[in-house]
Parts: sequence; structure tokens; C-alpha cells
Amino acid sequence: MRVANKTIYDAVTYNLRNRTQEMNKANEIVSTGKRINNLSDDPVGLTQALNLKSAISNIDQMQRNISLGNSWLASSESALTNVEDIISDTKVLCIQMANATIGSAERLSAAGTVQNMVDEIISLGNTNVAGRYIFSGSKTDTTPFSSDGTYNGNDNAFTIKVGKDTTVEVGSVGDAIFENIFSTMADLKTALETNDVGGIEDAMSDLDGHFDDISAKISDVGSKMNRMEVKEKILEDLNFANTDRLSQIEDADYTEAIIRLEATELAYQAALSSSAKIMTQTLMDYME
Amino acid sequence: MSSLGMVLNIATSALAAQQYCLDVTAHNIANVNTEGYSRQIPTLQGKQAVQYQGVILGLGVKTEQVTRSVDQFIENRLMQEKSNLSSSQETEKYMQVLEGIFSENSETSISSMLSDYWNLWNDVSNNPSGSSERIALYEHSVLISEQFKSLGPNLSQIQTDITNAVTVGVDRINEITSEIAQINVEIVGMEGNNNVANDLRDKRNVLVSELNEYLDIKTFEQDNHSLTIIAVRGCTLVQDDSNYELEMGGSNGDRVRWQDSGGNYVDITNYITNGKLGGWLELRDEIILKYELDLDAMAKEFIWSVNQQHSQGVGLEGFSTVTGTYAVTSTTQGIGIPGSSGAGLDYYRALNRSSFTGAKDISTGYAGNETLVIYENGTTVSITLNGPADIDAVITAINTDLGMAGVPVTASKTADGLYLVLTHDNASSGSTFGVATTSGNDELGLDQSFSIWTYDSDPANPPVENVINEINSSTTLAEIEIKINGIANINASITNGKLQITGTGGYTFGFSNDTSNVLAALGINTFFSGSTAGDISVNSTIVADKNHIAAAQIDATTGEFASGDNNNALAMADLQYRAMDISQWTCDRINGNTEGRVTTTIEDYYHSMVGSIGIVSSSISRETEFNEMMVNELNTLRNSVSAVSLDEEMTNLIKYQHAYQAAAKLITVSDEMLNTLISAR
Repeated sequence: MRVANKTIYDAVTYNLRNRTQEMNKANEIVSTGKRINNLSDDPVGLTQALNLKSAISNIDQMQRNISLGNSWLASSESALTNVEDIISDTKVLCIQMANATIGSAERLSAAGTVQNMVDEIISLGNTNVAGRYIFSGSKTDTTPFSSDGTYNGNDNAFTIKVGKDTTVEVGSVGDAIFENIFSTMADLKTALETNDVGGIEDAMSDLDGHFDDISAKISDVGSKMNRMEVKEKILEDLNFANTDRLSQIEDADYTEAIIRLEATELAYQAALSSSAKIMTQTLMDYME
Repeated sequence: MSSLGMVLNIATSALAAQQYCLDVTAHNIANVNTEGYSRQIPTLQGKQAVQYQGVILGLGVKTEQVTRSVDQFIENRLMQEKSNLSSSQETEKYMQVLEGIFSENSETSISSMLSDYWNLWNDVSNNPSGSSERIALYEHSVLISEQFKSLGPNLSQIQTDITNAVTVGVDRINEITSEIAQINVEIVGMEGNNNVANDLRDKRNVLVSELNEYLDIKTFEQDNHSLTIIAVRGCTLVQDDSNYELEMGGSNGDRVRWQDSGGNYVDITNYITNGKLGGWLELRDEIILKYELDLDAMAKEFIWSVNQQHSQGVGLEGFSTVTGTYAVTSTTQGIGIPGSSGAGLDYYRALNRSSFTGAKDISTGYAGNETLVIYENGTTVSITLNGPADIDAVITAINTDLGMAGVPVTASKTADGLYLVLTHDNASSGSTFGVATTSGNDELGLDQSFSIWTYDSDPANPPVENVINEINSSTTLAEIEIKINGIANINASITNGKLQITGTGGYTFGFSNDTSNVLAALGINTFFSGSTAGDISVNSTIVADKNHIAAAQIDATTGEFASGDNNNALAMADLQYRAMDISQWTCDRINGNTEGRVTTTIEDYYHSMVGSIGIVSSSISRETEFNEMMVNELNTLRNSVSAVSLDEEMTNLIKYQHAYQAAAKLITVSDEMLNTLISAR
């Protein structure tokens, strides 16, 4: 084919431009560390990356929710365990006071001990996490129990979100847990004050029932904590998998990227040197 | 007899011919870098020989003509490819701007902002009475609104820039066609007496090539060698010595028009598909328009879903007064009816459903008369049901009338046979319809309702529930106003088409159980105002008081609501997983723009939208790359035929120089011979 001067100049311009573009692209990947720097670099990968980022952001949030839920459940567990201890202490007291050798004065003084225990249970019922009461249903701003044991909360337990369509009740309706205990304690106190051994024995058997209820509640809280732990583990694994996948899609493979950059540099230099040679060739150099 | 004079004559013709060839060589060398120049080749021919005393003798050389070395087929292909290249290069340039606007490499991308928005609702659900969580949600919502609002103008700015580019392009087209018309005149004049106007033809080719880079054209060379140029839709741009101008017109001055001989305008905007204009117009009226419409559709559905859920909830306190954000254009036309016969609400579809189940037992018919009206996709069907015997008669009557009207809605009954059910036949694709009953008794039990709870400032008085019922597609805002005014301790009014509700005597109020969605449609107790990417804002009620962020829901039986209740916040956070029915546009300049629908989450919708911008952009880049390669190949071909090679010209220079020297020698020799003859006496 006939090669005119313009053919050479055009080819040099075209090829050098292409080499520069390739080098620039390779450099962009190395210097940002990302495979995808523009939407058009890999649109399918980009969409996947965006979906993964949303998922990761959502998982992070769920982990925060679970961590908050755990602190509520842990506080519940510790408060309820204390209540359980108080109930068993009360039962011991009942056994002592039901003994026929005990006199009315000792029973009257025990009534004072029972009142202290009631106060302690009320204070445990008013347990809060960062100022939010955990036993007042969804009225988390309101102290659930007045000093006389009156319940001020409501019947809707506080819930948190741990996943799509999944919520967990981490707060409790205090009324349901404490109401019967308070009434038994009040009966016991009256029985002690009135030296009524039959009443003390009745209270003793009621306390057995309450002890079982609280134990059941504690194991309910415990099983929720287990569920949260499992959920947290799943989320952690998922987060790891997603982050790993995101990195595969988004991040540059440095070895490959640098080799590519070097290859494009080499190609560019070769093109420069051959262009410089060919452009200066002319017949005129050989004519006087 | 051969004479010495003959030698001199031959030598003279040779001198002239070589001189002439040197001129052409000089012209070629001079134009080595001229764009579109085709090298010229001098043609020499031996003069007609004569017979002289039985010998045939040549009479020297004569110059024939100068020809252009040109292959018109390659020229035409090159012009076409250059036109394609211009189109894709321009599109690529603007697509890069578009990619920048939707760049995902920043923290301010809509995508990450949406994730954060849902996360902040989670935070509110974790601490519903906490003010810092509410403020964080509010501040972030302002940011999202601003981000949406900045995208819209960014897109229309590109469109404006493109219109300006098209305007400049049209001016240049008119300059080119005017020049071509002048060159036509010169070529016709010059070639009339069998000359070839080489340089003028090159010049005309360059202009036609440039014109081709702006838009699609067809060219014909007439018998008189003038060039006729026709653009799309048969619009003549150049004929003989005249050019016909394009101009920008239309109501926005953004249409490309051509005026015919009768003075009528022909709008060719949608038909230009090649060249820079083709690229620009495709971008402006198809690609960017689509993303503008899609972005609006997404914003519209995002605002709606958030508002619809938000309006079901209650904040930390009741309202003492609240004003809707959406205005009706008519207070006496149905709020659920589209178009000019309705109230003109952006979200008139609020009252539409994919199915309705009646709340009244009509197994044995009903006492009065009823007229049922169905609104489906722009069609309205009125069905008169006068004292039917039983539910089956109602169903038959409805299905018969709807069948005749071709409306894809079917009536049936619940399994227990007590209640009427209306279902859209394409419910799976998210298609919905509206209903209205006109007797005022709601005999079919299809109407919807919401509750307004009123609260005395004295907490000793329990909340009072007031049900606003009998709401359907044809309910008017004036009717709602009257119903609300029927409630004690509350006053309703309409100002500038917006509903305002105010508690009187220290009473506050809240809303619950809105099955009609009318509160969200009127913008009462909503989170966002606006209905497009361009006008989304946080509802001024929330701007004024973050306590009105509705994290809680009013207890449907007691009317009470608690500070720590997070039921509505949980439902808000769940919206991120909800697949919604969102419009998706296909824009086509010739066949028009069509609105399709996809069912997907807001975030997935946005992600695939950004992905699709990337796909369009990368395919245009590939096209540009391919076109560049094609132009390069064809240019190489064209150069091999037409471009000047300095080496060749230098060789020719020496060739002609030597021939000239030899011819001069002939004259010297003749001179010497003549001298010899004269001195030999």
C-alpha cells in the first residue's frame, strides 16, 4: 500500500493517543486501588457493589440494635436474678417465722425486713438502661413502680429490630412479673404483723410459685440472649462474606494492576521511540 | 523535410510541459498538510505525429489535464464513519458528565444516604424518646432532600448545555450550506467548458464532510456538477446556488426546524440520528430524559411510602394544629380521581387499591339503591345497583357492566359469602383502581376511614376517638372538612387548597388507623413534602418540632400513646425491605416515551438505575472506540490514494528537473546546429 506522509503522522497520533489512554487507565487503577472508578468501568459489578454496601450498612445497624438489646436483656437478667434471690431469702424467713417457737415480737420485727425486701424489689423493678426503664412496657420514660408498688407502665413490651421482619422483645411488662409478688409480700407482711402462722405458710407456698415464674422469666431472657448471640454470629459471618465479596468486586488486584501499568508504560515508550524514528525519515536527507 | 525549427518547437513544448509538471508538484508539496486535499497528477501526451517523406515523426509533448487522485467510494465511507464518530464522541463526553453526577465514590451518594436514612429510623426505634436520635434523623433527611434536589437541576443543566450546543451547531450548518451553494456556482461555471475544478471539488468535499459530522445528509451530483444536499424528512439544505437554513424554534426554542417553500415549519428534531446533532439530541431527549423521569419516579415513590407509613403514627405529643402540604385545585371534586375531573392531588392514587373487600354483610342484598363507580386507568364506569336480591346479583351486575366497558376488574365474594370483593385482574403487576359509592350510605361497605383522637389538657379525661368514615375516590376535601368540623374540640378549614386542623379549648389531637391513605395524600402528619426529586423537602411540621416525628402509634382501643413506643419507627425501618411499584421510563424520540413499572425496593431501583447509566456509558465508549478505529482505517485507505507523499514529490521534482534540463539542452544543440549551418557558406 502507498504510504503518504499523512499516513505516518495520523498513525503516530492515533497510536500514541491509544497508548496514553491505556496508561492513564492503568495508572488510575493503581493510584486509587479500585477496579471501578467510573460507573462505566464495570456497571454490573458496580450494581453488585452498591447492593453489598447497602447490605453491609444494614448489617452494621442490626449489630448495633442487637448490642443495645443485649444490654437490656443483661440488665433484665441481673435484676430478675436479684429478685429471685430476694424471693428465696423471703422463703427462708418464712420457714423461720412459721416455727412455733417464734414469738409475736420477732414476727413483728420480721415484717420490717419484708418491707425492706419489697422496697428492694421495687427498686429492681425500676432498673433502667441509659435512662430508659426496662420493666415499664413501652412507657420507657416513666418509672414503672411507685413506692407503694403501683404499676405506671403499659402492656406493650419494648421491642428492637434484629433483622428483616424480625423483632425481639427486650423490655418487659413489669406488671405481669411483679404484681403477684407484691401482693404475696403484702399478705406475708400482714400475717407477720398479726402473728398469723397460717398466713405465713400460705405466703410460703405462693412464693414457691413466684420463684418458679421468675426462674421461667430468667430462662426466657436467657434464651433470648442466646438467640441474639446466634443472630450476631450469623451477622458477623455475613458481614465478613459481604465485605470480602465487595473487596473482590471493587478493589484492584495490585499485582495485576502494577504489571499492567508497567506493560502499558513499556508499550508507550516503544511507540514513542519508533514514532520518533519513522517521522524523521525523508528523501531530502539524502539529496544535496 | 525535418527542419531545425521543428526541433526547436519540440524542445519548447517539452520545456513548457516539464514546467507545467513542476507547477503541479509544487502545488502538491504546498498542500501536503491541507485537510481533504487530493494529490494532483499531471497528464502528458505525445503530440499527434505527422508523416514526412515516408517517415512518421512525433511533434513533441502536450499537456492534457490535471487529475485528482481520489476514490469517491472511500470518501463516502469515510464521511459516514466520521459522522458516526462525531455522534458517539459527543455522547461519550456528556455521558462522562452524567457519570460524575451519579458518582458513587462519595459519601453524599443517594445510595449510601438511603441506607443511612433507614439506619437512623432504627436508631429512633431503639430510643424513641431520645431527642438526639430525632435530630440526627431530621438533619439527615434534610441532606437527602437536598441531594435529590441537586440531581434534578444538574440533569436539566446538561440538557440546557446540549440545547446551546445544538444552536451553535445549527448556525454552523447554515454557514456550511451557504458556502457549498457558492462553491456549486463556481464549479458549474468552471466545469462548464470541460475543465475539472480539482481544488474546488476538494473544498466542497471538506465542507460536505463537516456537514456530515453535524447531521445525517444525502448528496447527489447533478448533471451540471452542482451538489444537492438533502437532510432527514426530505428537507433540502442545498440545491444549485441556493441553501435553505435550519433554525431553532418551538415553544422552548429547543427544536430543530426547517422551513419549506410554503413557509411551513417541519420539525426534524426527532429524526436526526447521526452526527453531533444526532448524538446531542439522543442524549437530551432519550438518555438524560429517561434518568430525569426515573429519578422523579423514585423520589415520588420514596416520598409516598415514607409518608404513608408516617401518617399512621404519632409523635411524642399530639398536634395543636397541623396543615397539609398538598393542595387541591378543587375542593368540590373527588380526591381520588385523576385529571381535571378530580381534586388535582399529586397522590390521587392514594385511595386506589389492587383489591377492595366490603365491610358490610350483603349476602341478602340491601335495602336502598346504590351506584358504584370504578376508576381504572383513565376509564370511569358507573354501575347502578337498585335493590338487588342478594350478593350474587350484585356480583353479576358489576361483572356484566365492567365486562362491557373492558375494565380489568372482577367482582367476587368472600369465602363465607357475606362480603363483596373487587379485584384488579392484573393485581400481580401492581395495577390498582379506585371505587366510589354515591348513595351516601355506603351500602357495599367499600369505603375507607381514619380516626382522629382528641386529648384534653387534663389527663384525667380519657382520649376520645372520632372516626371519619365513608371516604372513597369521589370524596371531596370540602366533605372531609365538614366531617372533621363535626368533631368536638376540633376545627377544620381549607386555605389555598390545603386542609388545616386545629384543636380548640386546649385540646390536642392525633391520628390512627388510616385505611384510606387520605392523610398521606393531603400531606397531614407526613414526613416529607413534595412529590418529585426537584421539590422533596422535610415537612415543615417536623422542621418546626422534631417531636412530631412519628415513632409511636396510637393504641387503637385506648387512644393512648407512649414515649417509648417504637411501633411506627419499626414499620418505617421495614420500608427498606419493601418491594414497591415504581415507574420506569423508556424514552424514544420517534415512538414516544412509555411508562413501565417495576416492583423493587427503593435502593435496588436506584442501584440498577446507576448501573444502567454505567452500561449506557460503557457501550457508548466502546462504540466511540470502534468508530475511531474505523475512521483511522478508512483514513489510511484514503491517504494511500489521495494524500501527498513528499518522497514521491521529491522524486518527481528531480524527474521533471532532469527532463527540463534535457529540453534546454535540445535548444542549445539546435542553436549550435543553426550556427553551423549559417557559417557554412
